[in-house]
Order: sequence, then C-alpha cells, then structure tokens
Amino acid sequence: MKKDMFIDVDYGQLSKNGEIVCGDVFQSRKIKNENRLIAVLSDGLGSGIKANILANLTASMALKFTINEQPIEQSAESIKETLPIDTKRKIAFATFTIVDTEFDGYTRIIEYGNPQFMVFRSGAYLDVETSKTYVKDLTISEFKAEIEDRIILFSDGVSQSGIGCKNMPFGWNTNAMKDFIHRIIVGQPDISAKELQKQIITKASLNDQFKPKDDITCAVLYFRTPRRLLLCSGPPYDKKKDGQMVETVRTFKGHKVISGGTTAQIISRGLDKPVEVDLENINPEVPPISFIDGIDLVTEGILTLGKAAEMLKNKEENEVDEKHPARQLTDILLNHDKVMFMVGTRINEAHQDPNLPVELEIRRNVIKKIAYLLERKHLKETEIKYI
Amino acid sequence: MKKHTVVICTGTLCHVMGGSELPSLVDYLPEHYASRVTLKGSPCIEQCKNSGLKPPFAEIDGELVPEASIEKLVNELKKRIKNDPE
Repeated sequence: MKKDMFIDVDYGQLSKNGEIVCGDVFQSRKIKNENRLIAVLSDGLGSGIKANILANLTASMALKFTINEQPIEQSAESIKETLPIDTKRKIAFATFTIVDTEFDGYTRIIEYGNPQFMVFRSGAYLDVETSKTYVKDLTISEFKAEIEDRIILFSDGVSQSGIGCKNMPFGWNTNAMKDFIHRIIVGQPDISAKELQKQIITKASLNDQFKPKDDITCAVLYFRTPRRLLLCSGPPYDKKKDGQMVETVRTFKGHKVISGGTTAQIISRGLDKPVEVDLENINPEVPPISFIDGIDLVTEGILTLGKAAEMLKNKEENEVDEKHPARQLTDILLNHDKVMFMVGTRINEAHQDPNLPVELEIRRNVIKKIAYLLERKHLKETEIKYI
Repeated sequence: MKKHTVVICTGTLCHVMGGSELPSLVDYLPEHYASRVTLKGSPCIEQCKNSGLKPPFAEIDGELVPEASIEKLVNELKKRIKNDPE
C-alpha cells in the first residue's frame, strides 16, 4: 500500500435562484482503519426542501451501503424503494454518484442519473471506461488513481448552466467544461480542491447570469502527496526527553509549528537559534507570536490553541484578522493534510491555581479536540504522540 | 548614552495575570526616556513554576521584576535613568 497519497476533498453549492435550501447533497466519509474514502453526490427531484430531503436520504443510504460493502445493484434498488413518491409526478427520484476510493488509488465510481464525472490526470482529461449493470441507468467505472489526479463530480445544474442563453443554447457543454477545467489546472498545477470547485461553481453561476436556474453543486477529490505538519506543544514529562523533542523537530520532513512559551525556549536552546517575540503585532486576546529560524510558526500554548479550536469548530476563521495568532495557527493547520502532534505532558502547576482570572484547559484535551475537528470536519489525518 | 533593556514575559500565565498590557509600555514613557529603553519579549521567562513570586514577570537589565505593571516598570525605569551618569 502506498502510504504517501492523500485525498483533498471539498465541495461547493449554490441553490436555485429563489430557493433557500439546496436540493443537491454531498457527503463524504473517511474510514481510517480501512484507508478508504467514500463520497456521494445526490440530486433530488425538483428543488427546495423536498429535493433536499430526497437527496439527503439517498446520499446517507448510499454512503452507509457503500461503507458496509453491499452489492451496489441491491443498494440502488433499496434506495429506489425507500424514497417517498412525489404526489404530483408519481415518481420517487434522486440521482447519485458514489466514489469509493482506497488510499492506494483503486477507485470505483458508481453513477445513477447524474452527469458523468470527469477525471483529470495532471491537467489532461482522462477517459475512464464505464460498464453497465443489470439495473437500468446504473453504471460502474473503475480505475487506478495516481498522484495529481482529480475527480470532479457535479450536478446537472453545472453542466446545464447557461441553457437557453444566446452563446450556449444547450448549456455549458461537456467539451467547454473540460477545456475550462484543463486550463485552470495547467495554470495552477497544485490548485486545491477548495479553489478548483469554487472556480467551477462561479463559472456555472456566471453562465446563468448569477441567477442559477437549478441547484449547482461541484465536488473535487484531489489525490496529492500529503503536506505534512508537525505541531509541537508542551514540555516533555521527563526533562531528560527535551533532547528527543528537539531532535524530532530538527529532523521532521515538513512544516513545523511550536505552540507554547516553555516549548519555544526548549527548542530555541536545543537548536541554538534565538527566539524573538513579535511585539509589533499585539492582540489583546492571546499573546503574540515569536520567530525561531527554521520554524514556520511559533505561538503561545493553551490560549492560542483554545482559540484555534474554536475557529476550527465554527469555521469562523475568515472573520478574524489574518495576523491574529490563532488565525495563523488555524490557517497553517488547514493548509496541511497530515498533522502530527507531539505533546509534552508536563503540567505547569501554576496553571492550576484556582485564583486565576480565566480557566486554563489541560493541553492534552485541547490538542485532542483540535485533532478531532481536523479529522471529522476537515477530513485531515492526524496523529498524537505524547512525550 | 546608556540604554536599559526591558524584557517582558508573553507566556500564558503572565498574559492572563495582566501581562497583556505590558507591550504598550513605551507609550507610557516620557519621550526623552523612551529613547533610552529597549523593549523585548520572551516567550516565557520561566519563573512561574520555580519561585514563590507572582506573575506577570518582566526583567530590567537582567533583574527580575515580579507582579509587573506598566506603572511599576515606568517608575523603576525613571529611577534607573535618573541615576545614570550623564
């Protein structure tokens, strides 16, 4: 199994003009111990709440069936039988596309009713063979994904955007779409899933003169070499292990963050590089950052970590000034794929004084919270080592 | 002219115990004093767990100042600058 592949996943949506709720649903789940990632895009019949319920039901069922490795034909039948029947049109309908990929690249894509997915290999469109199943309109495609591949899923709101307009009477045709995406990737070969889906959605919306005629959803799965980050926080329980911590920081291949004053001092002494506090940018909420040559970010510990956890939870990082130490910490965490936390467990007894004006959390708990949020909410891989 | 160095601790404990105000120290010094003071920060002066003294901590010319406040640091600096040989 190739361990050095990471799948960067993101999606974006716009509701049909006038609707508050989007009738397309995208769900994804990483199954850590099986090294699998499953993503589902479903488009419910019609628009608004009713479509959203149909799509949600379909996406959740498709996700669960796939996780449990149910034969896909049976799953499709079950989904069809479960969906409530539309009173007007007398049909129950929601499309779905399921991507089931293992981290060695083996990928299966199951489609029912959605526009066909696209794969780009290093920017060039890749034709993937599709085979039929005994269920009408249900197809399966299989291929081996490689690093720098991108799978793009979208609802018909994207492929049919602009329909009826003078310059694209039949909507955004497939070739024009392929060309558009190809040009973006060639221009920015390492564009993230988030940026790419944003550009596709913006173009689709522009095709509809920013008044989408249908729900627009686009999801991107980007297979890339993982960007690694080491976050080192807290002095080791046993002082004799300070050297070990310094060595881990020195030899780590990837970007490095230190969170904690004492930790910064240990690393500074160990690397024989001075630490300089940035007194130019002062924030009343948390202490300022510092600089150590060779370390990408040095922040204070508990308060900054706690604030970063809050930002990761509420996705509010864009509302905070870019220079805020916790925003800088959040940004660097979100820009990486595999985050290793090295947590020193020595407790600073002075932090436990009941007379402190604020409650200082235990470092271990804050780190665990951050790791959980990175995994569950942001689909990152994390590892915590205590020292 | 002799320059005095003030190091303020920006560690967690010092920050919550009032140290968050200390970076603006220079604003509170009369102009002719401000030019004779160098302000620096430390990620942690590492006094909170050893001594029986109270945070926030600062250092003036290497000497520890516990329970540092802007007022306390300004007074101490004034005293030192006055005693400097002209």
